[in-house]
Amino acid sequence: MTPAPVQALRKSRSYKAVARALWEANPISKQILGICSALAVTVQLKTALVMSIALTFVVAFSSLIISLMRRAMPRNIRIMVEVSVIATLVILADEFLRAFMYDVSRQLSVFVGLIITNCIVLGRAEGYALSNPPCKSFVDGLANGIGYGSVLMGVAFLRELLGSGKLFGYPVIPAFFYEAGYLDNGLMRLAPGAFIIIGLFVWLEHTLLSRKKGR
Amino acid sequence: MSESARSFFFAVALCVVCSVLLTAASTGLQRRQEHNMRLEKQRNVLKAVGLIVAGKPLVESQIEKLYKEKIKTFWVTPEGELVDAKKHAGTDLPLYVRLEDRTIHTYAVPVESDGLWGKIYGYLALENDGATVAGFTVFQHSETPGLGGEIEKEWFQKEWIGKKIVDKDGNFISIRIARGEAGEAVPERMRPHTVDGISGATLTGRYLTAGIRETLESYEPVSIRFRKNMIGVP
Amino acid sequence: MENLISIAVNSIFVGNILLAYFLGMCSFVAISKNMKTAAGLGVAVIFVLTVTTPVNWLIYRFLLAPGALAWAGFPEVNLSYLKLVLFIATIAAMVQALEMVIDRYSPALYVSLGVFLPLITVNCAILGVSLFMVERAYTFPETAVFGASSGMGWALAIIAMSAIQKKLRYADVPEGLQGFAINMITTGLMAIGFMLFAGISM
Repeated sequence: MTPAPVQALRKSRSYKAVARALWEANPISKQILGICSALAVTVQLKTALVMSIALTFVVAFSSLIISLMRRAMPRNIRIMVEVSVIATLVILADEFLRAFMYDVSRQLSVFVGLIITNCIVLGRAEGYALSNPPCKSFVDGLANGIGYGSVLMGVAFLRELLGSGKLFGYPVIPAFFYEAGYLDNGLMRLAPGAFIIIGLFVWLEHTLLSRKKGR
Repeated sequence: MSESARSFFFAVALCVVCSVLLTAASTGLQRRQEHNMRLEKQRNVLKAVGLIVAGKPLVESQIEKLYKEKIKTFWVTPEGELVDAKKHAGTDLPLYVRLEDRTIHTYAVPVESDGLWGKIYGYLALENDGATVAGFTVFQHSETPGLGGEIEKEWFQKEWIGKKIVDKDGNFISIRIARGEAGEAVPERMRPHTVDGISGATLTGRYLTAGIRETLESYEPVSIRFRKNMIGVP
Repeated sequence: MENLISIAVNSIFVGNILLAYFLGMCSFVAISKNMKTAAGLGVAVIFVLTVTTPVNWLIYRFLLAPGALAWAGFPEVNLSYLKLVLFIATIAAMVQALEMVIDRYSPALYVSLGVFLPLITVNCAILGVSLFMVERAYTFPETAVFGASSGMGWALAIIAMSAIQKKLRYADVPEGLQGFAINMITTGLMAIGFMLFAGISM
């Protein structure tokens, strides 16, 4: 038996919204749109993690701010307003990274800036925040950011493990593997590795979802 | 108020808020960002001249202290003379010198080379004989991780130590990065001037070889003085 | 000259903005189903990149870069943190202007390209190329070549992809792998193919 509060939680709207964003409508495979730029930073877990945090910050707060302004905002210039809010947040994130996480920000190079053109952010602002209250919009943005981040982390996990034999920079493949002739897969460190892993992820997800529906 | 006037005012207000916010953040954080960059530069100079050993990272304050104690910046005139940092002219080149007991132990030159994808920035340090490489570091590049990106790795940079930029007769040769491992393919007399390349990154090696040669050539006047032992701390 | 040729070869093939840097995936995934539209979008991207990248270079060089405002008497000012906003604005404005110019002078071209132009504003490849141009400290001629050849690389990739998809229709792909998944894997294989050009140097 699941305890009553948990059941109540599962029935609540925001739980459903979060679950939807995290699993069934997971940005990378279903909402395809936002896939762009971020894949480039999945060679290492560390950069992927920082990227996910930056992205979640931007989606959550842009949703919050746009939702707060949704009544005051003139409709005819809403895209411009949304883009300015997002751009401001992205630049803030970029400046903060450069000040406090200099090392990582150098590796992320232009890709933090490219969050601006990441379709998820504008998509959430347009599609959700414009017609929902601030609190819900914030949660929605947060969940979408985390959902997207989790896919990035998944890709980065496999790429770093198979490509360099490390996780977060620490070697995890025991030395005797290498002595026995194991080699890191260099392909994983290059761009094609990310494409192929994404493809396999989506395949796995499709299979799991269709099985769930079948029953 | 008409609809378009309202839009206009909203847009202006938004722009003002955003720009104030950004300018505040940028000016507020600039100090820290510049501090980070300076620290990174100091760390790399120290590494090139052999004051930071791999595997023993130093904390910020140690780096700053060490740099202040041991490193002095001079400028090199086109004739190869050292001048004090305060008195340099536009055409002079910067030189980072490691001092031990008031004499020059090693000197590092900044390297700015083309790479396959973008500029490669680093430092090359030479011993005070003006001929032997004391260290090489790369602190910024955009080469492919795992291929050309290996130039930032310890194993590659370690190769450089002890190589000679001049041959036995004192003629300038520079340092060459071999295509893959420098083995039998490299003639005997070239071996002191050749480092092992990175397999799969021939082009990065070629660009870096050219960049290093260019840098060393522009610093030849001062290196010649070091070789002839004609240099002192100004 | 040699340098420019190697930038061109690199950005069309080895460092293809789509296949090596994942830029412009959104439109790539959405549009590559039909070869004709793919070609149209490809040409539009070449067009926009060729124009906007040099314009952004001028803006960065004379307005934003540290010390760029020296000509106006403000050598200390560093506005480079504004580059994102200004680049986006330039791209949007340039696309809009292009649309009007094409509409005015070449209705035929407008009919075939027109629909794609607004789509391009949100294509991260355009912004990405401008940001890379700053990051890699290219000179003006290098920037011009880089912009145009990046566009060509992108167009080449999307046209090739639409051709492959056409063939794939007759292939027996496992159920879960159909659609997006197989497209990604195909793109990955294509990226490997493009990397073969890495050995070519001028």
